[in-house]
Amino acid sequence: MDINFSDADNQFRQEVKDYLENKYPKHVKEKQNNGEQLTKQDMIDYHKSLYEQGWAGYNWPVEYGGTGWSPTQIYIFQEELGYANTPTILPFGLNMVGPVIYTFGNEEQKKKFLPDILEFNTWWCQGYSEPGSGSDLASLKTKAVRDGDHYIVNGSKTWTTLAQNADWIFCLVRTETTQKKQEGISFLLIDMKTEGIEVKPIITIDGDHEVNSVFFTDVKVPAENLIGEEGKGWTYAKFLLAHERFGIAGVPNQKYSLKLLKERTKDFADDDLKKKIADYEIELSALEFTELRTLAALANGGHPGAESSIIKIKGTELQQRLTEMYVEAAGQYILPYEGPEGFNSNNTPASNVSDFSSQAVSRYLNFRKTSIYGGSNEIQKNIIAKAILGV
Amino acid sequence: MNLSYSDEQNMLREQVLKFCESDYTFDFREKIVESNYGHNPETWKQFADLGWLAVPFSEENGGFNFGPIELAVIFEEFGKALVAEPYLANVVMSGSVLESSSNELAKQTISEIIDGTTQVSVAFSEANNGYNFHDIETSVDDGKLNGVKTVVLNASFANSFLVYARNGDKPVIYLVDAKAAGVSVNSFSTVDGQNCGDVTFENVEVGESLIISHDNDASQAINAMLDLANLCICAEAVGGMTASYLKTVQYTKEREQFGQPISNFQVLQHKMVDMFIEAEVSKSLLFKAMLQLDGKDDEASKTISGLKAQIGKSSRQVGQAAVQLHGGMGVSDEMSIGHYLKRFTVIDALFGNRNYHLNNFSNL
Repeated sequence: MDINFSDADNQFRQEVKDYLENKYPKHVKEKQNNGEQLTKQDMIDYHKSLYEQGWAGYNWPVEYGGTGWSPTQIYIFQEELGYANTPTILPFGLNMVGPVIYTFGNEEQKKKFLPDILEFNTWWCQGYSEPGSGSDLASLKTKAVRDGDHYIVNGSKTWTTLAQNADWIFCLVRTETTQKKQEGISFLLIDMKTEGIEVKPIITIDGDHEVNSVFFTDVKVPAENLIGEEGKGWTYAKFLLAHERFGIAGVPNQKYSLKLLKERTKDFADDDLKKKIADYEIELSALEFTELRTLAALANGGHPGAESSIIKIKGTELQQRLTEMYVEAAGQYILPYEGPEGFNSNNTPASNVSDFSSQAVSRYLNFRKTSIYGGSNEIQKNIIAKAILGV
Repeated sequence: MNLSYSDEQNMLREQVLKFCESDYTFDFREKIVESNYGHNPETWKQFADLGWLAVPFSEENGGFNFGPIELAVIFEEFGKALVAEPYLANVVMSGSVLESSSNELAKQTISEIIDGTTQVSVAFSEANNGYNFHDIETSVDDGKLNGVKTVVLNASFANSFLVYARNGDKPVIYLVDAKAAGVSVNSFSTVDGQNCGDVTFENVEVGESLIISHDNDASQAINAMLDLANLCICAEAVGGMTASYLKTVQYTKEREQFGQPISNFQVLQHKMVDMFIEAEVSKSLLFKAMLQLDGKDDEASKTISGLKAQIGKSSRQVGQAAVQLHGGMGVSDEMSIGHYLKRFTVIDALFGNRNYHLNNFSNL
């Protein structure tokens, strides 16, 4: 057991730094560091730059075009990206549907979808939640009825993140009404351009358009887009959720935000806030090592299981605490509202209302979602209770 | 970076675990606590025979040259079984101070600790200095040591004391025989079933040959001892938290109310999940701290402060929840569960509590 990086690891870190210095798109970097919103094209440019570097599949096996990196390399990669304040790597293709396809899909599906996911030619979104199915996900009602070599899909999905940008959606659909609700669920890939799909924005309390409702009316989906077996979708869904939870804590980004917060508050005569920051920093490093322990277990042949629930719970609690401390540190300067279109005025507010302050509340409000999405933290506790404690 | 225990470390854990299961049951512990301040000479002899008293010492001094990782392994298992033997006071604290010395007397004392024939306690704490461990009044003047040390761990059984004192304004550590003229010990049971004492030194003759460490080396030796001791008791707390949540899960599965096991109730399930999470994240931070200390990382002291602060919070939460979920049984002295809470409370208070270390972490 040792904590030191090998020479090869240090050399690898230098490679990541070189990428960030030379190949990470300059226009994305500039907007990120100024706290400006990124466009769809910015996100595509960023992901394609990772692909060109050969790093898009940073946690994929080599045989599917991934890097096959060791846990240490993944850690270094994510740490350097976090320090450089890069945008979050979109999880929908790379961390969610990708692993489902290479684990449960057939050869044609692997050939058809995986290269485009890696190259970011397709933007994916996640069709899980429904208006009547949140934490009780298995109660979902969106129906797929087999009709020859097609399924006809009817129903609706909600809270669909960035569906407005998406080319494809992976959906949990009900193919059969069974006694046990989990058994009639199937996992279907649907082209967003298919006739009968409608996307409507949902504006969240931070004023942003991030999530959507997606409606399906007699949508015709080729049967070849079914992953694995009909009726086995719940198994794939759980597998995906365990992968989703992994990395959901955003430790590197939190480290970056913490650094800014500490710089901002270093001359504050507020010992209470300083202690809160210290407490947060200690817990963040505990979380980081929990992730490392999980990565190490993965490297020894395990799968992310219920342990990833710990990371989800703690990670999102810490994210939320961080955004609260930003609000606290900014004081009254949080008041002027800066929405996606900027301040509702021809002028920007005076002096102290820096980016730090004007975005503090938006972020605080936006991050309330984290303890709700990906399986609410209460659901995570149910999972741990059952799978680990055995009660 | 590698986060897996070696085969050797796993074997050590297995050995300690087996010993605790077979030779150190809770009933046995309670007898030792009640009859002899938590120390049983036969058990200590077993520790010596198993080689445990030699763990952290250099090969040159007759030890196994193991480091913080192996000590943490031992303490995690001790924590699960609530081992009350004075391993911390002797092997970790005195061991750490003695190992840093080049004095022949120190080497001789180490060999006696290893074979179990002597016990040594570090006398550093004073009534007026709180956690300002270097702000001491005990002093040496003209070859005579005067002062009072307090909360000296295992004072009842110590054959000698490593006394942290001042000579003028220079720190110095002396090894003083407990039977030397002018030394008196007033010892107490501790709240968690061990023992500590006030040790008074009144015109005790201390020659140069008794100097174990002086000047900067002496204060460094105390700091290094505190870091290692904090790491060990944090590992002990991690073991205690693990045992606490496991025992609580077991109890709630057996205890029936309203016609069913109380483990069926979601309120209790979520509370136990919280206990589990606190134990796990504490363990993760323990990994970081022990690996940094093992690798002599510059950040190690800061990380240990962070760990101690985390343990202060997590172990209190786990210990209190364990008692709560055991209901009336939780507050019964005959059950082990409340003894974990007692030990957590002592662990937090030792060598800087959560508040102290949170400030420390913030300022480092």
